[in-house]
Amino acid sequence: MSEVLRRLPAALAVLVAAALPFLLDDFWLQTGLFTMAAVVGAIGLTLLVGVAGQLSLGHACFAALGAYTYAWAVGESGGRAAGLGLPPLLALVLAGVVAAVAGALFSPISGRLRGIYLGLATIGLVFLARHLMVNLEDATGGFNGRTVEPFSVPGFSFSNEDPDYLAVAGVEFEGLHRLWYLFLVVVLLAAWLGRNIKASRTGRALANVRDSETAAAAMGIHVARAKATAFVISSAYAGIAGALMALAYGRIAPDLFGLQLSIDFLIMIVLGGLGSIAGAAAGAAFVVILPLVLTQYSSDLPFLATPGSGGLDAATLARLLYGAAIIAVLLFLRGGLAGATGRLRHRRAPHPADTDDPPPAPPPPSPAPPGAATPAPSHPGVPTRSKETSP
Amino acid sequence: MKHRIRTTLALAGCVAVLAACSTEDPDAAPAGGGAEGEVRTGTGVTADTITVGMLTDLSGPFAAGAAVQVTETQAYYDQVNTEGGICGRDVEVDVQDHGYDPQKAVALYRSMASNVVALQQVLGGPTSAAVLPLAEADGLYLGGHGWAGVALQYENAQIPGTTYSIESANAIDYLVDELGLAPGSKVGVVYFVGDYGSDSLAGAQHAAQQRGLEIVPQEITPRDTDLTAQASALQQAGVSAVILGAAPAQLASLAGVLAAQGLNVPLFGNTPTFGPSLLATPAGPALEQNFYTVTSIAPFSLDQPGVQAARDLYEAAAPDGETGWEVPLAYAQAELLTTALRGACDAGDLTPEGVVAAMRKTTGLDTEGLYATPLDFTDAAQPPTRTVYVSRASGQAEGGLEVLGTFEGPSAQSYPVG
Amino acid sequence: MSYFLTQLANGLSYGLILGLIAVGFVIVFTSTGVLNFAHGSVLLTGAYLVAVLQGPVGFWAAVVVGIAGAALLGVLINAVLVRNLAEANPGTAAILMLGVDILLLTELTRRIGNRVLPIGAPWGADVVAIGGVTLPTSRAIAAGLAVVVFGLLWFLFARTGTGVAMRAAAADGDTASLMGIRLSRTGAAGWALAGALAAIAGVFLASFPAPGVGPALAISAFAAIPAWVLGGFDSVVGAIVGGLIIGVVTALAVGYESHLHFLGRGLGEVVPYAVMILVLLVRPSGLFGRAEAVRV
Repeated sequence: MSEVLRRLPAALAVLVAAALPFLLDDFWLQTGLFTMAAVVGAIGLTLLVGVAGQLSLGHACFAALGAYTYAWAVGESGGRAAGLGLPPLLALVLAGVVAAVAGALFSPISGRLRGIYLGLATIGLVFLARHLMVNLEDATGGFNGRTVEPFSVPGFSFSNEDPDYLAVAGVEFEGLHRLWYLFLVVVLLAAWLGRNIKASRTGRALANVRDSETAAAAMGIHVARAKATAFVISSAYAGIAGALMALAYGRIAPDLFGLQLSIDFLIMIVLGGLGSIAGAAAGAAFVVILPLVLTQYSSDLPFLATPGSGGLDAATLARLLYGAAIIAVLLFLRGGLAGATGRLRHRRAPHPADTDDPPPAPPPPSPAPPGAATPAPSHPGVPTRSKETSP
Repeated sequence: MKHRIRTTLALAGCVAVLAACSTEDPDAAPAGGGAEGEVRTGTGVTADTITVGMLTDLSGPFAAGAAVQVTETQAYYDQVNTEGGICGRDVEVDVQDHGYDPQKAVALYRSMASNVVALQQVLGGPTSAAVLPLAEADGLYLGGHGWAGVALQYENAQIPGTTYSIESANAIDYLVDELGLAPGSKVGVVYFVGDYGSDSLAGAQHAAQQRGLEIVPQEITPRDTDLTAQASALQQAGVSAVILGAAPAQLASLAGVLAAQGLNVPLFGNTPTFGPSLLATPAGPALEQNFYTVTSIAPFSLDQPGVQAARDLYEAAAPDGETGWEVPLAYAQAELLTTALRGACDAGDLTPEGVVAAMRKTTGLDTEGLYATPLDFTDAAQPPTRTVYVSRASGQAEGGLEVLGTFEGPSAQSYPVG
Repeated sequence: MSYFLTQLANGLSYGLILGLIAVGFVIVFTSTGVLNFAHGSVLLTGAYLVAVLQGPVGFWAAVVVGIAGAALLGVLINAVLVRNLAEANPGTAAILMLGVDILLLTELTRRIGNRVLPIGAPWGADVVAIGGVTLPTSRAIAAGLAVVVFGLLWFLFARTGTGVAMRAAAADGDTASLMGIRLSRTGAAGWALAGALAAIAGVFLASFPAPGVGPALAISAFAAIPAWVLGGFDSVVGAIVGGLIIGVVTALAVGYESHLHFLGRGLGEVVPYAVMILVLLVRPSGLFGRAEAVRV
């Protein structure tokens, strides 16, 4: 019984997600697709940052690899940019595999650096990837990018064609509706896999490495290999996320995969709560949806100036509110969005049975001591510098 | 037991969904055409309003220039509405801010596509590149997306003038024919990575080949605001002229450094390269001495009725506003769309498809000086004109540019677009 | 040859300015453990203050206000926001700084608009020529001033109580704290120092050969990140050396791009990061960073 109760919120969320295409218009469907693509990437990153304590700002590079691999693999071999003409499902898998291999190639660095140092080192990957995307014109289409063939399985295409008209319960199912379900399936798989990785032997080894590399090594964990493994897994997630982004856009170009994308992924998982899969999803929704909502509704406010008049206009206000929202979450919500909801649930149900979320902070939330103490040792975090440093 | 229940539920769900499935389109029959003499309408048009969309950057790197265009466009349609509107309807402009983020642009496009009859503007290279294919699939008019040649492949996109490539080809022709550049000379091209800069480079390369010149290319990014290294490289290569496909910050740096190095050669810029506030920077004297610009849209100060109308409208709407090329451009873009809307109305088909069809029938359009020649949009693969305005930087002229005249060179005529 | 020397001089002077920014990254990071994504907007704030005030109060007074303003902004960010994080770790602190960056940059972009604000420096667009080597006067002054500033930093860290306290706090915060060093003070000093250095760098980055103060100035701080990383994350010396390396390599890559076409176009953007990754492959903690050797 308690297990049913515990799974109830997740099951409800899935049901709601499955029902949404019947209600939403194109704007929200498109936003939903971007959000779900981001969720997959964020889950991958939270496994790396939250579980293994490594930080990456290179995820845009792996997302780009996944996106271009997908576009290249499904592309017609005679098209303007080169292609293999493979079945889309295979191409989707290939996107993850290629990104994982690239992640493995980076292991001489990812296995030796830790925490925020790795994060900064990976910024370089984003610029390398961009250089390649712009210059390898035959495969990537150069700066102007290339179109992405729609996803399909034999007899059914996830686009506006084949079948040209499809209605379910009176609602016409166009490409966006069809893609929604494809994305939903991928997100569920990614979340399920992520949970299992966290709970598996590998996941526990990674958590040990995060908490203390010395202790982990003493227990027989190959630290460098564990760190590289985390990086590879997370790269594969980013590759799949990139392929989904490619499908959601329908056309990809180097500009979509800049440093800002890497930074956005990081914002997602930090706001969501490091290490939490549900938090990664919540963070992705926050980053993708909030700016759009703010933009849409701030233009209705009466007191704002018209753009160009020098006063405070709606777009500027929306951007300021977005920045303020990020700051507010970090100042007031311990454990991010997931930590906050975890505490709420905690108050109602005293059973501490939630393995989905990071260890919730003790309720009620103790006020942060002035001078912001160091993080509790067991809490997911990114170490600045090793305490075991020998000068 | 639990498993069996789950399986049964799943099966039942599938059956229920299948029962509700249909692949027969009930609306497949041709849509009602309305009675004889009545205008057919579709998305974005009601009995008393026509809604057009602007997808622009009001919070990102191009916010300031974009805001000028929004102000001018709003003022233009306010005037249209006071004069009776289009097709007996008022025009409303739905402005949304994508902040130069392609993801936001695509999502906002989805919200707009079902509410507007045409997109007056989609600003920005990466953002318009992301939106163009979607608008093409929906058959929606799209304008105000800059002058990159790659957009010419889209039937639904109305390029607001000639391309960057033809601007640059004209610059080379002007150098040879008017400024007496000798054959065999070298011309530096400093250009932004991307559709804008590479288009500019392509035009210059074509023209250089035609006129027996050599191109020295230097690629930069919008982040480069100190072009000392590039200027030194150009000097080392011994260039006799430079073409710049970049933004005002790069122009100020390049002009200043070249002059400081004693390399006082003509410096040509594409339309987005110049901004009047540059004349107040340390590079001001160098600009006044060496800078020319080739633009398909008329400079702010041109004494022609179309440009005067744009200026008057803008000065009434924003008395303290910036006085750049954005003002005549926004006015001209609004005029282009208005022409297409009126054409669609006259043809009795004020639907998104009807607007695109009317736009493609636009020929011999006189813009009273906003463009150098009448415009012809009947062939989607060709620019509407190949003539440009050539101007020089001048502290006396309003908007910082003094117009020398119109120009169309042989390499600009022969440049193979697309 | 003089071409090479010109590019070299250009690269060195630019590298010294990058060093000023990179040192700011190092000091903030070692004193409070924050990856300061808002460093660019602090730099822009300082330069903006100078550009706006140089008309009314004169250039030099404006520079003093700009430096003080940027330093104060840093101290405020640290005191009001960083120290009140719900949970302090480098990840959340970095994202916090992104939020701060969005706020500052949005407001400054709105104020600046599409104008380019002249910085009003007395050296204008002059150049100095020695032999065949030409260098903008502003760059020559920047290089000289940077060397002086680095000397002062050395004096601060080696000879003054505050500097020694900051070093101790950076080396081991807990122990330093036990020994009576107040981490809140060393943190504030670090942020103030970083803000001041950023403002100085901003004044020179906005001087000729750059046109003046525009929103893009904030992004130029990111160019110092590879310099910081390859020098070693916690080394002031490393940041300076890293800045010089990145400056020279970038200038040469751009200057000789026509000979390097097989590597693709637009080398100037990618070369700093390629060098950074190469260095990290050989020395994972950078040229001067403390090696994280752990014996088991």
